[in-house]
Amino acid sequence: MVSDSVNVSLSSAPSARDFGKKKRTNRTAKLKQCKLDARREQWLSQGVMSGSVKDKGFKDGTNRACMPLVGRERNPPLDALEMRRRGHGIEDNHGSIHLESDSESPSNSPKSILLGGTNSGTNFTGSSSSSSGGCCSGNITEEEENDDDGCLDDWEAVADALVASDNQESRNSCQEQPLEDEPVEQLNSKSSTGVCLGVENLKQEGPRMVPKNPMDNRAWRPDDAFRPQSLPNLLKQQSFPNTDRHFRRGQLPWTCSSAVSVPSSCPICCEALDLTDSSFFPCVCGFMLCLFCHKKILEGDGRCPGCRKPYEHNAMEAELSVHGHSLTLRLACSSSMVERS
Amino acid sequence: MQPSRARLFKEYKEVQKEKAADPDIQLVCDESNIFKWNALIKGPSETPYEGGVFQLAFSVPEQYPLQPPQVRFLTKIFHPNVHFKTGEICLDILKNAWSPAWTLQSVCRAIIALMAHPEADSPLNCDSGNLLRSGDIRGYQAMARMYTRLAAMPKKG
Repeated sequence: MVSDSVNVSLSSAPSARDFGKKKRTNRTAKLKQCKLDARREQWLSQGVMSGSVKDKGFKDGTNRACMPLVGRERNPPLDALEMRRRGHGIEDNHGSIHLESDSESPSNSPKSILLGGTNSGTNFTGSSSSSSGGCCSGNITEEEENDDDGCLDDWEAVADALVASDNQESRNSCQEQPLEDEPVEQLNSKSSTGVCLGVENLKQEGPRMVPKNPMDNRAWRPDDAFRPQSLPNLLKQQSFPNTDRHFRRGQLPWTCSSAVSVPSSCPICCEALDLTDSSFFPCVCGFMLCLFCHKKILEGDGRCPGCRKPYEHNAMEAELSVHGHSLTLRLACSSSMVERS
Repeated sequence: MQPSRARLFKEYKEVQKEKAADPDIQLVCDESNIFKWNALIKGPSETPYEGGVFQLAFSVPEQYPLQPPQVRFLTKIFHPNVHFKTGEICLDILKNAWSPAWTLQSVCRAIIALMAHPEADSPLNCDSGNLLRSGDIRGYQAMARMYTRLAAMPKKG
């Protein structure tokens, strides 16, 4: 058991470092990555799960366990099943107990999957408090990687992804086999961690869920009573620019994550920012405001409201002369602006 | 509409929307005048003000938010940076360090922070400041606690 968990963390460490190097430089790329993962998970698990029996899938998985780890670094966004298999694969590569347990039950029955999942779940919990148990061991591996290099800031979004993929799995497994009680109990005992609660939730809600509804992709609704207390404040989460649209279906994942948070209205006067305003960056700190307020501030103490450093005047005058024309135009056509002046 | 009015309406909406967001601050706008606000703030824990509820009066200038709001304590408080009689507050962000990006809510937060971290070197209440500056922390705390009990807590019975 112990060697297992060590192996897993060791083997996941180098790739995690690789991920880290790439991702730390670019946060949006990382978010993109997460999203890509989730979408592939959904897509592939739909395809595979609906097309084949779970046993077959698993056998396939043990074969793939021999897949070199390099491949996974080359092509990080793998689907959920592959992840799950990879969980086994890693263990197999290191000649651990799971290989034996798998080979002892060559029938590859669903039960062995669940047992394997449970075992690895326990191991993960032993090695890291943030991991969860149950049949989603592969996903945990992914999450652990992210946790290891500390680049996973938006873990609630990943929890959403977990639910999104597990949702489908649980629906499938509900059709094919009754869920075993054992992992659920284990989950219950560890339900203090957020992900566990999500899975538990899902097991209660899974069959009832409407899969196509994009809102169900969220692990917890804001008003969900099952939402763990330990989670960060939702309000904060919502103010985080990428969280909301993170896993929305039917959208290209990389189109929305490139968006920087541009306020829709001037934080000073609360008027809507027009096109000129929203491309107006008067200060290096990135604090945005409308040209009108900016001018007023320049007439006053001339310090940026965001960082309280004085605006650089040369740059400002250039900006003003460029935008001066449009400013007067807007003054003429906007009644509120006229009133203000 | 004046920008100050628009801005205050926005803040009013925010306050209504996020009433539960900060349980230590209760901001209410005067029914008839949006330039007059009142706030109730809870004394921060582990300070002599713990357990007290302090009332603040905001008077917002026409030039808000380019100019800071005027804030004073309505509740008596023994604090080096609060005038004991008028309730005037000596706080840099209410004077030269004001930024238009601040809101009434953030001013309340700053005042709570000031209560937890008195600045004895720019005192409005010399007695309090002198106690702190002479190192008599216990004396300051005892006085502050007494006034909190007297003025900022509901009377028993």
